[in-house]
Amino acid sequence: MMDRDTWLEIFHTVLSNPLRTGLTGLSIALGIFILVVMQGLGAGLETGVKQTFGDDAANLMEVETGNAQLAFRGRKPNRRVELHNADEQAMRSQMDSVPAWSRLVYRWGSTVRYGNEQGSYGLRGVDPDQREIGQVNVTAGRFVSDRDIDQRRKVAVIGGQVLADLFPRGTKPEQAVGSWIQVRGIQFAVVGTFNQTGSRWENRSVYVPFSTAQKLFSNSDVVSRVAIGTGEASIDDTRETTTSLTGWLKDRLVVHPDDAEGVWVDNRNEQAEMYRQIFSGIRLFVWFVGMMTLLAGAMGVANIMAIVVRERTKEIGVRKALGATSGSIVAQIVQEAVFLMLISGCIGLLAGTWLLQGIAPFVEHDFFSNPRVDFRSALLALGVLIFVGVISAIGPAMRAVSIRPVEALRDE
Amino acid sequence: MIELKSIRKAYQTGSQSLTVLKGIDCTIEEGELVAIMGSSGSGKSTLLNVLGLLDDFDEGSYVLNGQNMDGLSEKAAARYRSDFLGFVFQSFNLISYKTALENVALPLYYQGVPRKERQARALSFLTKVGLADWAEHLPNQMSGGQKQRVAIARALIANPSVILADEPTGALDSVTSDEVMALLKEINSEGITIVVVTHENEIANQCDRIIRLKDGRIEGANA
Repeated sequence: MMDRDTWLEIFHTVLSNPLRTGLTGLSIALGIFILVVMQGLGAGLETGVKQTFGDDAANLMEVETGNAQLAFRGRKPNRRVELHNADEQAMRSQMDSVPAWSRLVYRWGSTVRYGNEQGSYGLRGVDPDQREIGQVNVTAGRFVSDRDIDQRRKVAVIGGQVLADLFPRGTKPEQAVGSWIQVRGIQFAVVGTFNQTGSRWENRSVYVPFSTAQKLFSNSDVVSRVAIGTGEASIDDTRETTTSLTGWLKDRLVVHPDDAEGVWVDNRNEQAEMYRQIFSGIRLFVWFVGMMTLLAGAMGVANIMAIVVRERTKEIGVRKALGATSGSIVAQIVQEAVFLMLISGCIGLLAGTWLLQGIAPFVEHDFFSNPRVDFRSALLALGVLIFVGVISAIGPAMRAVSIRPVEALRDE
Repeated sequence: MIELKSIRKAYQTGSQSLTVLKGIDCTIEEGELVAIMGSSGSGKSTLLNVLGLLDDFDEGSYVLNGQNMDGLSEKAAARYRSDFLGFVFQSFNLISYKTALENVALPLYYQGVPRKERQARALSFLTKVGLADWAEHLPNQMSGGQKQRVAIARALIANPSVILADEPTGALDSVTSDEVMALLKEINSEGITIVVVTHENEIANQCDRIIRLKDGRIEGANA
C-alpha cells in the first residue's frame, strides 16, 4: 500500500523535525560510510598483497640455501651452504613421488637484446614443471620442455614486458615466436611468450632450460632453489614433509639442527593459509566494526520512532477510531523507519563508494591496489539496513498498537 | 439499533476495582437523536466508549444493528467501527498535517477505497457541511466550528448507521454550537441515529430523548 497517502505520512514524520531526523540519518549514513570505506580498503590491501605474492601457486614448497650461522661437525660458522646437483638428485630420490618438481637457477639483471633494443631482465633457468608451479600463462608457442633440458637447448620463453620493450610496437606474441634474441651475449631462440596478469615483475623475466642456464651462466653445478609442487596434499601433510625434508637436508649439507639460515624449506601452503586467516580476520573485523556502528545508528532510529509514536499517541488513537487496524499502524511505522534507514544508508553508501573511487588512482602501491566496494557487499549492507530498520521499528510499533483508542477520546 | 442489557464495567486501579457502569439497560431506536447527560464521574464517557466499541465491558450484552458485540477481537471491533459507527470528538481530532479533504477521506483509506473515489466522496461530504471551498486548507487555518464540521463530514463519509458525538460543542461558542447542532439534526433527519454526550442542557434539550446517568446507573425511567 505504498500510495500517495503512505508517502505523505512518511514525509511528514521525517520532515516534522529536520534536525532530529538529520542527526539520526547522519549516524546511519556514517555507519554505512565507515563500513563501505573500511571494506574497500581491506579489499584493496588484499588485492595488493595477492598481486605481489599471489602469482605463484600456493601449493608448493621451496628449498633454499644461505649462510650457516653455527659451527657444526668441525665446520666453521658463517659459511656459505650450497645445494649441488648431486644433493638435489639425492633429495629427489629419497622423497615419495611429488606432483611437480623444478630446479631453478637465477641470474638477475641479465641483458637481453633483440635487434638494436636491449634491456635488463631476470633470467630463470627452470624445469618444465615450473609452468605448473609458477602458474605461468603461456600466450604463444610453448614452455620449456624435457627435450630442451636433455639437449641443453638455447631456447627462451619471454615475458610480456620483455616482448613489449624489445620488439617493435604492436608485435603479437605469435610473431615473436621463432625470432632470435641475445641473452647475456648468447643467441637464444624464442619458443614461447607468457603473460602474468597478477604480477608486476614476473613479466620482466625470461625462462630458459635449467640445464642450459646452469652450464652457460653458472659455471658450477649449484642449484639456486628447488620448487616442489604439493598437489592436493593437506596442509598438515605439507607441514610434516617440510619438517622431515628440512631434517634430511641439514644432515646432508652438514648444517646444525638449530641453524635457521643454512638451509630451509619454505612452505607456501602455510603462508597462503596465514594470509587467508589474516584477511578473513580483517574482513571479520571490518564487518564487526561496521555492524556496531550500524547498531548505534539503528538505536537512534528506534529512539526517534519511539518519540514519534509518543508524540502521535492521540493521532494513532483517532486513526484506530476511524477504522485503522493494528496491521496498518505497524506497517506505517515500519515503513517510516525503513525509509529513513534506506535513504541515509544509500547516502552513506554513495559517499563511501565515491571516496574509494576518488582515491583509488592515488593509492596504488605494492601492497595496496584497487580499493573498491563489491556489489555483493553493497547489497548485503542494504539488506542489513532494511533488517535493522524493521527491527528498530518493531518496539515503537508495538507500543503504537497497544494504544487504546479510548485515549484519543479523552480531552484533558 | 442499539440494545444494552445489564452492562457492567469495572476498571482495575492497583488492587482496587472501581465499578463505573453498574448495570445499564437501554435501547436506542433507529433514527433517534439521543443525549446522554451526567456529571463527571457518572460513567457517560465510559458508556460512549462501550457504545463506540472502543472499550470492552465485563458483563451484559450489547446488540448493535442486530449483531452481538460481546467479546469482539480488536480486529473485529475495528471492522464494526469502520462499518457502522462515526465519531465526533470535542477537540475535533483532525490530523494537523492533512488538508480538510484528506481528513474527511481518511476512513475510506482504511476501507481500501481507491484514492480518486475517496477524494470525490470527501468533496461531496465537505459540500454537504458547507466547506467545499476549504477542501485544501489545513485544520489550523480553520475556525473551531469549521473544524467540527470537517470532523462531522469525516464521521459521515463511511456511511455509518450511528454517529457518536462526545461533547461535540464543548469547545465552541454558543452561535457555532447551534450551527453544529443544526447540522447534526439535519443528518439525523436523514435517518442516521445520533448519540450525543453532553453536559449542556441547551444541547440536550434539542435531542429527542435524554438519558441521564448517575453513579453508573440510568436515572429515572425516562428510557
